[in-house]
Order: sequence, then structure tokens, then C-alpha cells
Amino acid sequence: MFEFLNQPEVIKTIVIVGSMLLLFIGLFGLLTRKHIIKIFISIAIMESSIFLLFIGLTFKIDSIAPILDSAHTNVATMNDPIPHAMILTAIVIGMAVLALGVSFAIEYFKLTGKTDINEMNEMRH
Amino acid sequence: MSVKKVSLKRELPTTTLSGFALSGLLVLTILNILLQNMPSKIQTAGNALLKLNATEGVANAVTTVVVFFRGFDTLGEIAVLFIASLGIGLMLHSNSKCNIKAESNFMLQTASRLLFPIIMLFGTYVMIYGHLSPGGGFQGGVIIASGVLLLLISHKTFEVPHSVIVALETFAGVSYVLIGLIGLLVLDTFLGNFLPHDIAQMGMLLSGGIIPIIYIIVGIKVGSEMSMIVQNLIQRSRDV
Amino acid sequence: MTGLIILGTFMGLIIVSFAAITQKKLADSIILFMGVGLGSVVLFFIFKAPDVALTEAVISAGISSLIFLMALKHLGEQK
Repeated sequence: MFEFLNQPEVIKTIVIVGSMLLLFIGLFGLLTRKHIIKIFISIAIMESSIFLLFIGLTFKIDSIAPILDSAHTNVATMNDPIPHAMILTAIVIGMAVLALGVSFAIEYFKLTGKTDINEMNEMRH
Repeated sequence: MSVKKVSLKRELPTTTLSGFALSGLLVLTILNILLQNMPSKIQTAGNALLKLNATEGVANAVTTVVVFFRGFDTLGEIAVLFIASLGIGLMLHSNSKCNIKAESNFMLQTASRLLFPIIMLFGTYVMIYGHLSPGGGFQGGVIIASGVLLLLISHKTFEVPHSVIVALETFAGVSYVLIGLIGLLVLDTFLGNFLPHDIAQMGMLLSGGIIPIIYIIVGIKVGSEMSMIVQNLIQRSRDV
Repeated sequence: MTGLIILGTFMGLIIVSFAAITQKKLADSIILFMGVGLGSVVLFFIFKAPDVALTEAVISAGISSLIFLMALKHLGEQK
């Protein structure tokens, strides 16, 4: 029964459906939460889901890591190295920008003492 | 004149949320059908790059893509890291002395003194062997920053001197661009590989030309910037 | 066998991430978010991507957790 799950179409379906569900859970949290740190957590969950989608779409069942060796020289069974390189830099940049956003939130709290986004309306008047 | 409190965000009704969920499922099915029937020509770009990677003499294909084939994007990404670290330093920097009265736990102090040199050694190993096994500059730099973080939370008067971090960061950033300019002079391409890189040396430590040198420079820059970010975040909480 | 592990990890990730955004206290949200990072590392390992798994493990366990925990310390425990 578990042989049915090892076909490439079924694995691609699982990856796409799972990461899109994670994206929509993050979007739901972004739209309905009021505490500003929970909004940042939802943004980070959305970023994680996109990284999983990118790496999961180029996954074949009998593939090995893209590292050449004296024992592994057949490049036909290796994974694609281009998405790995792009996601590597995207993870680091995402974390740095998240740190900047959280430091803004900390400074704003020390200035006015509000964390609810419905009360942050200084620019409204 | 009294100021009326205006709430910026209205509450989402349930019909909107259910319509949102249904449209999400529709996007899911359409994306699934589109991505399953991708033509197989897209898969051969990775194979061509893997064969081209063997001409550089580097064992780790991801390192070659990050440093050599897409080296200019890595330079831009380091610039983004620098801007983010600058912003955090502007917002959270504080020079006050430490006002915490209690020392941290005795077990934490002893264990952190034991673990700190091991973490630093591991981070340097991951950074230097980035072209032979999984790893590289980004990973090694962040490991070194986590070692500094361990010392920062266990000893209440420890801090990395500001001039050391600034010197390391400046040296790494300037030498990256200088190596690219030397490649421009020698080989007519920015960040060209001008040191010898034979295929017979694949798997040795000194192989691949300028690729391990650039990755070590990236590792130094990322490590020092992460240490500055971590120190700014923690030092603000010390003046209780 | 591989397909079963991928399916199980994805289901675990979805449950943990939904619990992370519907908690009342902020400390529970942050700890469950670290669980999302852990599941992500397991999935990257199964997809045979060692560089990405190493990067995500170090950043999610070291720096990203520290950022949110420092925010929790400065902001105090509110809803």
C-alpha cells in the first residue's frame, strides 16, 4: 500500500498541497492577529513554506546530493544545485530583515507602550 | 476638542474567510495541474551546470553556483546584510553599563567556557572546508556568531570590542571587491577565476582557484555582522 | 517509504504552525514556531539538500529564536 506513495506525481502533489496550505495558514495569521509579534511570526511561517516548495519540486526519488566525489561521478542522478544556492541566500536575508522589523517593534514599544495594531493610529489625525 | 478613537482594522466576517479558503483551494488545484506537467527541458539546466562545475575543480556544486556562477548576487546579498545590521545598530545601540545584580548559574558559566572553543573550531572548519563538503561561508559565520551568543548570555560583563568587529567587517567587504577587480584586470570578467584550478586537484584543500578564498571572506563578514546584531539585541536588555 | 515520511512530516508541520498562531500567550507561540523550523530541517534532509538543511538548522535554532525571545523580554507578557 505504501508503494503507491512513492510515485513522482504523488510526491509532487503532496509537496505542493502541503506548502500551499502552510502559506495560507501564515496568511490567515497575518490577517487576523492583533499582536505585532504574532504578525511577524506569521510572515516567517510564510517564508518557510516557499523554501519548502522550491526544494521539494526538484526532488526525484533516487537522487543523491550535488557533491562530486571520486565515487560519485554520474551527474545524471544528482539533484539540481541552482535552487539550493538561491534558497541559501534567501534564508539568511529573510532572517536579517525579520531582525530589523522586530527591532522597530521594540523601539516603538519603548516609546509609546502599545503592541495592539488597532491602537497604533498616530498618523491618523 | 475630544479626539475620537478610530479603529483601523475592521473584523473579518466569516463569509470572507470561507470565500478566501475556497479560492485558496482553487489556486491549489490549478497550481498542481500546471506544475505536474512541466516540460522536461527545464530539468536539464541543472545537469549542464553540474558538468560545467567539473571544469572548475570544486567538489561541492552548490558552492560553485553561489560564489562563481552567481557571484555578483552574493555581493548584493552581503550589501543587504550590511544595511540590515546598520539599521539594527542605529535603533538598539546602548553604551550603558551592566546593572544586573545576580550572576548567572554556575553550571551555565562552566559549560559555556568548555563549549566556546569547540564551537569556534567547528565554525572555522565548516567555513574552510566549504568547497569539499556541505557548508561554506554563511553556515560557518552563523555558527561563530552563535558561539559569541553563548558567551554573551552566560557572563554578564562580556562584550566584543566595537573596533574589532568594525575592522573585520571592513577588511572583508573591501577585499571582496578588490578580488573582483583583480579578476577584471587579468581575465576581462569581474570575479573571474585567475588562480590555477586543475580538475586533477578536486577533493584537495587547495583547489578551485579563488573560490575558497572568496567563501572565507564571505564567512568572516557574515560572522562579524551576526555577532554585532546579537550583541546589540542582548546589550539593550542589560540596563534593567 | 519516503512518500510516507514526507506526508507525515507535512501533516505535523501544518498542525504545529496552526497551533503557533492561535495561542493566547506569546511564549507558546514562539516555542511552537521553533517546532516549525525543526520540521523544516527534517524535510530539507529528506529532500537530499545538505547545505540548505545546515543553514536552516543554524539560523532557525540560533538567531531566529533569539530575535523573538528578546522581543518577548522587552515587550513583556501580554496577550
